[in-house]
Amino acid sequence: MDILYLLIPLSVVLVLLILLGLWWAIHSGQFDRIEGEAERILRQD
Amino acid sequence: MSSNYALLDEPAQWSAFSTPSPENKNADQTRGLWQSQVVVEGMHCGSCALNVEKALRSVPGVKQATVNGATHRAEVVWSAEQVKPSQWLNALHNAGYEAVPANDHVARNEGKWEVRRQLWRWAVAGFCMMQVMMYALPPYVSTDITMEMLSLLRWAAWVLTLPVMFFSADVFTAAAWRDLKRGDISMDLPVALGIWVSFLVSSAAMFSPDGFFGNEVYFDSITMFVFFLLTGRWLEARLRERTAGSLEALINRLPQSVYRMRVDGEFDSVSLAMVKVGDILQVHPGEVFAADGKLLDGHTWVEEALLSGESEPMERRRGDMLLAGSHNLRETVTLEVTALGESTRYAAIVTLMQTASLHKPRLAALADRIAKPFLLVVLVVAALAAIWAWGESPGKAMMVAVSVLIVTCPCALSLATPAAMLAAAGNLARQGVLLRDVQSLETLSQVNAVVFDKTGTLTSDRMELQYLFTPENLKGSIDLTTPAMQSLLGLTQALAEHSWHPYARAVLQIEKSTAPPPVLQQVQEHVGQGVSATLVNDQVPKQLRMGSLSFCRQASESQELPYSAQDAQVHVFDQRGWLASYVFREVMRPDAIATMARLRQLGVEIYLMSGDKKASVETVAGRLQLEPANVFSACTPADKLGYLKDLQAAGKRVAMVGDGFNDMPVLAGAHVSFAFGQAVPLAQAHSDVVVMGQQLMAVADTMALAKRSMRVVSHNLIWAAAYNAVCVPLAVMGYLPAWLAGLGMALSSVIVVLYSLQLALPANKAPSAILSTH
Repeated sequence: MDILYLLIPLSVVLVLLILLGLWWAIHSGQFDRIEGEAERILRQD
Repeated sequence: MSSNYALLDEPAQWSAFSTPSPENKNADQTRGLWQSQVVVEGMHCGSCALNVEKALRSVPGVKQATVNGATHRAEVVWSAEQVKPSQWLNALHNAGYEAVPANDHVARNEGKWEVRRQLWRWAVAGFCMMQVMMYALPPYVSTDITMEMLSLLRWAAWVLTLPVMFFSADVFTAAAWRDLKRGDISMDLPVALGIWVSFLVSSAAMFSPDGFFGNEVYFDSITMFVFFLLTGRWLEARLRERTAGSLEALINRLPQSVYRMRVDGEFDSVSLAMVKVGDILQVHPGEVFAADGKLLDGHTWVEEALLSGESEPMERRRGDMLLAGSHNLRETVTLEVTALGESTRYAAIVTLMQTASLHKPRLAALADRIAKPFLLVVLVVAALAAIWAWGESPGKAMMVAVSVLIVTCPCALSLATPAAMLAAAGNLARQGVLLRDVQSLETLSQVNAVVFDKTGTLTSDRMELQYLFTPENLKGSIDLTTPAMQSLLGLTQALAEHSWHPYARAVLQIEKSTAPPPVLQQVQEHVGQGVSATLVNDQVPKQLRMGSLSFCRQASESQELPYSAQDAQVHVFDQRGWLASYVFREVMRPDAIATMARLRQLGVEIYLMSGDKKASVETVAGRLQLEPANVFSACTPADKLGYLKDLQAAGKRVAMVGDGFNDMPVLAGAHVSFAFGQAVPLAQAHSDVVVMGQQLMAVADTMALAKRSMRVVSHNLIWAAAYNAVCVPLAVMGYLPAWLAGLGMALSSVIVVLYSLQLALPANKAPSAILSTH
């Protein structure tokens, strides 16, 4: 069970990494207009 | 941000977010009173709206400040001699709120950043919560966990609680702190107090398990609570966006750039601000008209639903008027600008809607007032509960206090009324019914008598053919099926096409003639009199005239026509003499009878008051099956007002329906008034409700919706009160863990908003309609 002493801190780091990815996604505008992406295919240009 | 406020002090910038107040009659408009619209950031609850108002009103020179907590918009009336916009904007900044001028790109951009920040806060809380719960799980499911492992898990949970405390929950902490500094308390205070107390107790327990606060940690409760709360806020914001959406969509509808014709005839893209009256613009299908104008070239269909209430696409030909804010549906057209910005019908509607959404319903104002004493009571109860449980264990005592603090947030109470009103106003706006003041919904729901005016209200602007006299048809029969009648009608319609006179329009509204179109030459309109032309179908050309009797007789050998035809509105003569006379009558609105039935069903008495002659009023009253005692004819406006006062003295709550112009004093005297805004400039229609379409049924629909809204409001209030009545005792007795309290609090607000959302649906689909009929 000693591996847990490594895995638990690692899971904390992992969550922080996931949050970093999400930060990038939100602030690059991916969630600004969720319906817009679905409508885009219907537009001509 | 605050340093930029100085830019707004330039009078040239004012019109971007302000209009001169209606009372401002100064020729020099840089003086006198101005009315500004701003979007306020950092407002979360009902009491914030009060704080913002207080901060604004404390600035000398600010005459009035109204804030809508639901739309985050504030309207400020200020005197240009005494104060500059930057002064009151800075006052707001010092109070801890940022404001952005509305009707501005910045407002929309700020809105986008606000949404991203909210989403990011929520995501951080969500991911950290999930992981913290993972760390909290092992001690529950396993008994042989070592002390070392337990403390490692707690450390990990503590690390991931930090971002939640210092970032996600910062909205609550900052808001509570801001209010405390001012000696004020708001709904954020119990929340902030709750999370910080539990965090500090848990941290103390983690660092010294044998210490004063015992060895229980509540990191999972804290993160879950913050996450639920942020979810509630997020949902509330999205729902508000949807309900207020139709208002916002209308307000932000005009395009920022347009295609304008250059001197060489080519079109290039310019900013809307540069366009002037008389410019020629090109509008593509799918675009929105940026200005009122006359169609020069092209033939298209437009959608004007939000402007006129007409839901069908409307055909527009050369010479027709186009409205700013309507959609071009079919073809690329060019138009000549006739009105821009402030002077368009669109701008009048937007101003009306903005003022409406700012006025607070009485019930909402009440909720705001009781919020503060309520919070004080909550703090005292929490403290007492903690003291009571202290003997058992200090750690548990703290957590009981935290539950009490969290569970009682009166958000649901303060949201109950505005959420419902806003949803209802949005629904009405989509049907082309504008409320000057959401307060009128409350009054409308109590109305038990409706007074109608006749002309322009019960009857439409359209005319209907009543008699058609010709030399062969002296009885005036309107059987138009014979070939002779068809060719006569064809001739009249060909002439009428060249005139805009209402009677010429009436001729064209008769079903179109099937006869081959006559060949007309030298067609000429004599404004206000009629149309003359030469018919060249036959060997001998005929000099035709259509129009008023005196105009037709001028160029004719014989002046004779039968006595019965002399009062007709439209005559047709050739050079020899009389050919035909058309008699038109007013048409009752097609839905008038159905509307009366619907109103009776709603339990409303119907009255008719008209300035028209007795006979014609009684015809209409008879067709509508009105009680003869409720019909008043040949009334002057003073008579009408007198009758109205009598009704009110008899204890009736009276709604008046008029054309909004001739009936002004009567409309103002009624408890609540409807105006049909078609014929009248909106800004002058001083009525509570403006109906933009032709549907009389809108009156009944609005009253039904008002009744539904008040029902929803009372359901909301009952629910919020019941929730508190059940949960507070549970929390005081320590049966409610903090996370469950947080869930309850977030849910209670979301349920109120969701339940109110039914008012945005048509009547038959709404749950409360189903509830109350079964």
